[in-house]
Amino acid sequence: MKQALILLARLWQIGPSRVLPPSCRFAPSCSQYAIEALGKYGAIKGSWLATKRIMRCHPWGGHGYDPVP
Amino acid sequence: MDNQRNIIMAVVLCGLMLLGWELAMSQFYPQPATVGQAQREDVPADRALLADGDGGAAPAIHTREGGLSDPADIARERADIGTLLADGARVPIDAPRIAGSINPVGARIDDIVLKTHRETVDDDSGPIRIFSPAGTPAQQFAQFGWVADAGGGNIRVPDARTRWQASGGPLAVDSPVTLRWNNGQGQLFTITLSIDRYYMITAQQTVANTGGGAVALQPFATLNRTDRTASVDTWTIHSGPIGAFGDGVQFGPDYDDLAEARRASGEGRAHWIGFTDIYWLGALIPQDGASPEADFRSLGNNIFRADVIYEPVVIQSGQQVTRTTRLFAGAKESAVLDVYEDAGVEKFGLAIDWGWFRWFEKPIFWLLRLLYDLVGNFGVAIILLTVIIRGLMFPIAQKGFASMAAMKAIQPKMKALQERYKDDKQKQQQEIMALYKSEGVNPLAGCLPMLLQIPVFFALYKVLILAIEMRHKPFVLWIQDLSAPDPATILNLFGLLPFTPPSFLAIGVLAVLLGFTMWLTFRLNPAMTDPVQQQLFNIMPWVLMFVMAPFAAGLLLYWTTSNILTLAQQKYLYSKHPQLRAQAEKDREDKLREKESPATGAARDKGKSKA
Repeated sequence: MKQALILLARLWQIGPSRVLPPSCRFAPSCSQYAIEALGKYGAIKGSWLATKRIMRCHPWGGHGYDPVP
Repeated sequence: MDNQRNIIMAVVLCGLMLLGWELAMSQFYPQPATVGQAQREDVPADRALLADGDGGAAPAIHTREGGLSDPADIARERADIGTLLADGARVPIDAPRIAGSINPVGARIDDIVLKTHRETVDDDSGPIRIFSPAGTPAQQFAQFGWVADAGGGNIRVPDARTRWQASGGPLAVDSPVTLRWNNGQGQLFTITLSIDRYYMITAQQTVANTGGGAVALQPFATLNRTDRTASVDTWTIHSGPIGAFGDGVQFGPDYDDLAEARRASGEGRAHWIGFTDIYWLGALIPQDGASPEADFRSLGNNIFRADVIYEPVVIQSGQQVTRTTRLFAGAKESAVLDVYEDAGVEKFGLAIDWGWFRWFEKPIFWLLRLLYDLVGNFGVAIILLTVIIRGLMFPIAQKGFASMAAMKAIQPKMKALQERYKDDKQKQQQEIMALYKSEGVNPLAGCLPMLLQIPVFFALYKVLILAIEMRHKPFVLWIQDLSAPDPATILNLFGLLPFTPPSFLAIGVLAVLLGFTMWLTFRLNPAMTDPVQQQLFNIMPWVLMFVMAPFAAGLLLYWTTSNILTLAQQKYLYSKHPQLRAQAEKDREDKLREKESPATGAARDKGKSKA
């Protein structure tokens, strides 16, 4: 499960993300963040952290350096 | 503007991934040729009884809405209907939404047209036919009967050739019809049919045993149809066997799989079972509390059957037993299905293949209906919907522009940073992030706004082609059906030239407008630094013009309107931040100059840092 989710994030990075103009407010990017979070906390908590991160990824959210806790 | 571009790109990608896939699939994996149908006999009823080998009929081409597509089939259907329905013994059906007749031979309901839905977009095209007698090319009918139980003695039961005595009629609201048949062995069979204001026919099947001993019988109801009239089955919308079993609605199997498996069923108690097209549904609803056997069968020759077979009932001498089955035969109008669901037909509202995405589709559907009720034109309703959605997104765009203005203020610091760390991209990125933080700006909108656009677009795509409420709804001029592709194909000069272009070249006027408006919005954006990306942006509108052309005209209308609103929004925001417009224009000029003579790039950079 964890591996599948990481693969999903990787696919996003090498697929759509390449084509899209840069839009990351944060460093690391949401997908990178997801991969790290999944690796560190597993499928469930990792996904939750990644989801929370994406939810902050809008003009009123935060920005800047925001690593996986 | 990055944010704008993000959103457009998101929709582009969404379109490419979700929709282009479907196009590609239909291009590369066309509907497998279906097996030929029964040999052509002169008497349609005999044709139906022929269950042997394949005839040489042309494979059916499944259209979006379903129905016969082969001209020979259409002609034969018309001729058959003419001769078969002329039988004077038929009992007419005349309900508010349904017309047709009951065939007293075999106790079949095999002639149903829907009064409120036309066959084609033409105003004078007749009502759409969904049930057609056995043996006709568009065969679909319901039949009610009994199976003699092996343990219950060898009694005669009615079959497909039994001629029933009809009384009452025509079948209308509050005017039931009763069919009677006496087997001559002391059992009297009756089927009482009644109909409601919409699409539900109730069949009460009663056996009265006046004979000496007990008899055991299994009442049944079946729905029988050909798949040659089925609407095209896609990965987002199922056409074929459908049923509610246990806790959920089962959209499957497909006709092909059923033809291979011969037989299929669902898990759990059957709440209803039948066959669906994109807009039409025929379904049997077993009696409350009964646990009948309910399954799908393939009978060969493209004929399929959905059965509801009740458990055997033992009828003592002097007793009678009734089973009540309901038959839904009509259009999947969301509001009507919900009425039946509220009245106790489990999960009936889900007979429309909204999919797991319905939580997003239903609000869009609801909003579109509301707007339609307000303005009376679906095209205008779609435009208003676009305006509302773009209105909701406007603050994001505004925020983006404000950030861009702030960015402009810190441009010199940025430049300095870029100069200082030009050899260490990683460090440069970090420093820029730090600068953003200290200055409190961020020009990038983040990914959430663009992610939000994807479900809206997908929901609209599905609502437009799925909801019968959108069928045959005109906009203006040549667009008479927003749920179908734009008919004004340019390649054959809007139909003036006598040929139909291949589907991937059938580009309508709306598609060209879409490509053009998208090109305009892309042009407004600052030039990309990456030349590959820039190339991609340049060709994207024209690629999408081809990709989107076969989709519902309403979807193209939405997208085109959205592009126009983007242009208007851009104009407005530039007027509020004139310094940004100046910047954008300068960037464009720089880019052009660079293209002409790359050598002057350095000079341009010098000029820019002064700005």
